[in-house]
Amino acid sequence: MEVMDKNIKEWRSSREINRREFIKLGSSAVALLASAPLMRNAFGGRRGRTPKPKNIVLIITDQQHIDTIAAGGCRHVRTPALDRLKTSGVSFTQSYSANPLCSPARSAVFTGRTSSECAVHINGRPIRSDIPNLGQWLSEQTDYETFYAGKWHLPGTYMSHIPGFKVINTGIGGFGYLCDTVMSRACEGFLRNRNRTKPFFLVASFMQPHDICEWLRLNMDNPGQLRYPELASELPELPGNFEYDENEPDTIRRMRRGNEPFKGKWDKEHWRYYRWSYYRNIEYVDAEIGRVLQALDEHGHVNDTLIVMTADHGEGMGHHQMVRKSSFYNEAARVPLLFSWPGHVAENKTDTVHLASGLDITPTLCDYAGIQPPAHMRGVSLRAILEANGTLSRDFIVSEVSTNTGRMLRTANYKYITYKDNLVEQLFDMTNDPGETWNLAASSRYASPLAEHRKLLKEWEARLDVPSSIPNAEVWRHKI
Amino acid sequence: MAKQRTIVGSPLTPMLLKELRAVDSFPLTPEDFKPTEEWVNTYRIWTCHGYRESGNKNVGFLRIERVRDSDEAFTLKMHEEVLQTDAMVGLIDGTITCRNNPQASPTRWNLSSRFISADGEHISELHSNNNSAPSENVEGITGDWCLFEAVQRLAFDKQSTLSFDLLEGMSLLKAKHRLSYRGVHSASITATDTALHCFVQLGRGILPHEYWLDARHRLMIVTSMNKAYILDEQAEKIFAQDVERARKSYRNKASRRK
Repeated sequence: MEVMDKNIKEWRSSREINRREFIKLGSSAVALLASAPLMRNAFGGRRGRTPKPKNIVLIITDQQHIDTIAAGGCRHVRTPALDRLKTSGVSFTQSYSANPLCSPARSAVFTGRTSSECAVHINGRPIRSDIPNLGQWLSEQTDYETFYAGKWHLPGTYMSHIPGFKVINTGIGGFGYLCDTVMSRACEGFLRNRNRTKPFFLVASFMQPHDICEWLRLNMDNPGQLRYPELASELPELPGNFEYDENEPDTIRRMRRGNEPFKGKWDKEHWRYYRWSYYRNIEYVDAEIGRVLQALDEHGHVNDTLIVMTADHGEGMGHHQMVRKSSFYNEAARVPLLFSWPGHVAENKTDTVHLASGLDITPTLCDYAGIQPPAHMRGVSLRAILEANGTLSRDFIVSEVSTNTGRMLRTANYKYITYKDNLVEQLFDMTNDPGETWNLAASSRYASPLAEHRKLLKEWEARLDVPSSIPNAEVWRHKI
Repeated sequence: MAKQRTIVGSPLTPMLLKELRAVDSFPLTPEDFKPTEEWVNTYRIWTCHGYRESGNKNVGFLRIERVRDSDEAFTLKMHEEVLQTDAMVGLIDGTITCRNNPQASPTRWNLSSRFISADGEHISELHSNNNSAPSENVEGITGDWCLFEAVQRLAFDKQSTLSFDLLEGMSLLKAKHRLSYRGVHSASITATDTALHCFVQLGRGILPHEYWLDARHRLMIVTSMNKAYILDEQAEKIFAQDVERARKSYRNKASRRK
C-alpha cells in the first residue's frame, strides 16, 4: 500500500505540471507529434466537450497476425466476432506492436511508454514502479472501476493481484484452449451480474492464438505425410514472401535457425498444416470474444461501451520462413487494432493511411475517459481519426525488441531496422515491396532515406528515459 | 544454469502420453459395459507445454454420467472443474437432454458456470446460467460433451462418419464438423497390449480431436494438441489434492506478500 500511495503522489505531482512542461517532458512526443493541430488531437483538445463512454472494454489476444479477420479479407477463417468489431468501428492496417514480444508489448499498451523505459525489455519483468499502468491511472483519476481477466505477464503470466485492477479471473498458465473458455465465462458472468449504474473498465486478455507455440513443439518433427490426409485440399497456400533473404541481420538468421521448422526439417506441406492450425486457433479465440460481446449485448452495454481490440504482437506464419514473434517483419510486428462504439466511433472504416502503435492505447483511452494521460506519453490519442475525418500528422512510429538490441522505425513509405552489433541494416520500401523481400539499405540510391531514418531514430532514442539497469541502455543513448 | 528441456516433437497419442507419464493404467471396462445404457466416465484433464521434462500437469477433471430416459432420449449429467492460477477454480455443471440419434443432438440443457476463490468461497459476481428452451430442430447439431457419448455408439468401421455443427460448451456454434473412424492401434499402456480404436474430429474453430476407445467402445482418451482427457477413476481425488496444494501455496504466497 505504501508503494502505491507513493506512486500516486508522484503521479499527482506529475499531473500538476503545466502544459508547456508537459510537452517538454514528453518531448519524444514532439518528434511524433510534429504539429500544433496534432497536439490538440493527441491530448484531447475536445476534452470536456465530447461524450465519454460509460464503460470501456479492452480485448487483447496473444500472438495474432493482423490478417486473420474474415471481414478484413482473410479467406481462411470464419471470425464473426472480430468481423462485428471491425465493421462496427474503425480498424487500422498499419498498426504496430511497440515490441513484438509478450511482456514488453503489454508494458507499452498499459503505460503508453516504451518497453525499455518500463524496464520490461524481456518477458516476465514488472513495470517500473514509478510508471503507472492504465488500471492505476483510471482508478485514480476517474470513476471507472477497473477489472482484469486473463493474461497479464508483468511479471507473472497470470496473477490474482495486478496493481490498479480487481482481478476477476486469473487464467491458466500456457494453455489457451482451457484458459480462454474459463476466462470468457467469467467475463460473461461479470457482465451479467454487474450493477449497470457503475461505469467499468474491463480488460479481457485472451491467451489464444498463442497455443501455436505449443503446437510447434508438439509438431516439430516433420512427419513426412499429412496426419489428416482429408485436410489436403483445405491447407492454406504458402505466403508470397515464404523465401528469405540470406543476407539478413544475424539476429534474425539465428532466430530462424533455432526455430522448430528448421530443427524439424519441415517440408512445404507441414508449413501449410501449421498455417491451417494457426487459423483454427484464431477461430477459437474469435468464438470466445463472441461470448463476451454477446454478454455485452444481452445486458444493455453495447451502446454505452467503447470496445478496443488489439494483440500484443503478431505471428510469423511462415512469411520469410519465420514462426512466432520477436521480429520486425510485418507479420510479427503488425497487430490488429479495432475500436468500436456505436454512434461515436466511425462505422466500418478501415484506416490504411495512419501509422498506429500499441503505445497509442493508453493516451487514446485517457482521452475517451476525459483525463490527461500520465506524463511522457510516447504514443498519441487516435480519437480524432476514430470519430471523424480527422488526421494525425505523425511522421513515424518506433518499435523495439530483442532485449533492447533491436529497433524498427516505420515511416509512411519505409521501414528501417537495426540491431546492436549487427552490421546489416534493413530498409524496405513498404509501398512497392510490402512483403519486405528486397533490402535497400546497401543500395547507394537509398542512401538519403537511410540516413534520414537513422537520424529520426537517434532523435527518438535521445528523448527516452531508459533506466541504466536495462541491458544496452547506453547503446541507444545519444546526445542530439 | 538452465535445465535442458527436450521438445516433445510429435502430437499426443496414448503411447506418447505413457512416455510422458500422463497415464500408466486404465480402469477396467466392465464386461457388461454398454454405451447405450447407463454409465459414468470420469476423465482427468492433462495439459502439455510441449517439453518432456516440465510444464505438463493435471489441471482438472470432467465427469459425464449417462442416464437413459426412453428409447428416444437420454440425459447427460456433466461436471467439469478446472484449476486456475492462484488456486481459483472454474466449475461448470449441468444436465443435457439428448436425442438418441447418432450425434446425440441436445434438445434441452441447463448449465451453471461458477467460480470458487482460493479461499473456497463462491464468487457470486461471476456466476452465470445457460438454459435452453426445448427444441426439436436439432438434427445435425451436437455438443462437445455430447460427443463423449456419441462416439461410444459408433461402429469401428471406416464407414462410420458423422457430420454436424458443434455447439461448443452448449453456447458457441462451430460449423462443418465431421467425426470419422481412423483405425485400430495397439498401445502398451498396461502390462498387456490394449487395442485402441481411434476416431478423428475435424472442423472449424478447433484443432483436430482424436478419440481413443477400447474394444468395448468405452472412451479412454481424448487428445487435442496440448490437452488430453484421460479416463481415470481417481481423477476427482487427484484434483482435490491439487486444489488443496494450490490453496496452501497461495496462502503462503499471500502471507509473504503481507
